[in-house]
Amino acid sequence: MTGVIVTTINLTAIYALVALGVSLTWSGLGFLNLSTGAMYAGAAYGAWLVATNISSNVVVVLLGGVIAGAALGALICLTVFLPLDGKPNWELRTLTATLALSFVGTNIYLWQFGPQFKQFDPLFAFIREFRIGETLVQPSKTGTVIATGILVAIILAFISYSRIGLGVRALTQSVEGAALVGIDRRTTAFAILGVSGAFIGLAAVLLGQIYFVEPNSGYSPMIKGLIVALLGGLGSLRGAVIAAFLVAFAEALTLQYLGGAWVLITLFVLIAVVLIIRPRGIAGVLEGTRA
Amino acid sequence: MSAALEIKGLEAGYGPLSVLHGVDLSIAEGERVGILGLNGHGKTTMLRAIVDLVDWKRGEILLNGEDITHATTHALARRGVVLMPQGDALFPGLTVKDNLDAGAYPGGSWKRRKERRDHVCEIFPRLGERLGQVVGTLSGGERRMCSIGRGLMCDARIYLVDEPSLGLGPGIAKGICDTLLGLDLQGGALLIAEQNRALIDGRIDRTLRMHGGELTPDTGGDGGH
Repeated sequence: MTGVIVTTINLTAIYALVALGVSLTWSGLGFLNLSTGAMYAGAAYGAWLVATNISSNVVVVLLGGVIAGAALGALICLTVFLPLDGKPNWELRTLTATLALSFVGTNIYLWQFGPQFKQFDPLFAFIREFRIGETLVQPSKTGTVIATGILVAIILAFISYSRIGLGVRALTQSVEGAALVGIDRRTTAFAILGVSGAFIGLAAVLLGQIYFVEPNSGYSPMIKGLIVALLGGLGSLRGAVIAAFLVAFAEALTLQYLGGAWVLITLFVLIAVVLIIRPRGIAGVLEGTRA
Repeated sequence: MSAALEIKGLEAGYGPLSVLHGVDLSIAEGERVGILGLNGHGKTTMLRAIVDLVDWKRGEILLNGEDITHATTHALARRGVVLMPQGDALFPGLTVKDNLDAGAYPGGSWKRRKERRDHVCEIFPRLGERLGQVVGTLSGGERRMCSIGRGLMCDARIYLVDEPSLGLGPGIAKGICDTLLGLDLQGGALLIAEQNRALIDGRIDRTLRMHGGELTPDTGGDGGH
């Protein structure tokens, strides 16, 4: 059981990061970013370039991934959000545009880096492994949880206490209200997509400790991130974190008792059950607000 | 001296629907003007047209002599055109404090948000007691106070107030209107739309009547009821 708990905590951290990225973009700007997977792979390549060319110091590499992710977020703002904002058929157009960008991104990676797997050196080798009961906790897991905690704390502080952060939160609640108090949706969009990208970028480097990096390596995390974001109730950040925990727990249990082949099946059963009972996801439970 | 707000030949509407048919209005600095009229005659559309929240508009709108006809909503908020809208347009998932602070978003006001917030809490003590509460859980009257309070968080040149009594019980509506119209707006002009004449009569400089998308001089009477 301790093994399940350790795996759960580790996966919660990573899924929460991707889901926060998806969910924040959705709630702040109203589109589902299907190039999340390409951003993920791009950030992983960015961090890999930093690690091979600049320094393999853990802080430098993690920052490399976070900054690469944020930069890709800004790129999506420039290429998708700004041109399409205010145009008719917004939902469909943004879906199409982000999906197209994801293909463009994947092929650029293929062209630039080739199909070979890239691998990071262990970033967290300096952390000592330890045991909880029978379970060995690898350095990468400890490092993942610590790094996620630090980034989430920094970004939460930014969103909770800064002026731009208040603008982001206001925009997730009411577009008209935000405009009425002078919040420019188009400039705030850079902050929203930048922060979303930073989350996804960190997830990419952390998972890069476990899986290889290749042009398509973002798709699976994106699917998981979408599941988690949907389960949490798209747009709810707290919901996303709770859903990440649920999904991670279900996955850890499945891995332990049923085997890896069952993971996606249990996840889809979980999401179907939750959405049948609570169509708005976990957020519907959290918000006791009057409409 | 140019008027705080000047509107010339304003037409506006939504999609194929034309709601305003040539509205002219001039409001002096510090002046308080009321617009009376029934539902569906264009009061809200006129206020929303000023802050660019309608589908389309024609005509000219000047703020202290400068053309703001095509300025965006957020740019107007930064220039001191503050709408306290129907339906409040608050941020339901944020606390009262955050909602108020959002009102101070325009550059210069942000630094003084604490002092402004204290001021708003003096005006509406109920808000002061509920600063940490999420706005979505407030009562209708408290939300209206929050919406008005948010508008008071920055230095506006003109306040546009859209039916502050809407959806409230008579006692609460009167309380809120009394408070609002009793405020010292620091030189800011006020344009208030209302159905209920009794709530604004005698507390403002002049009233006009909105009927069928046109502004006409107010001839007294019962305010449409």
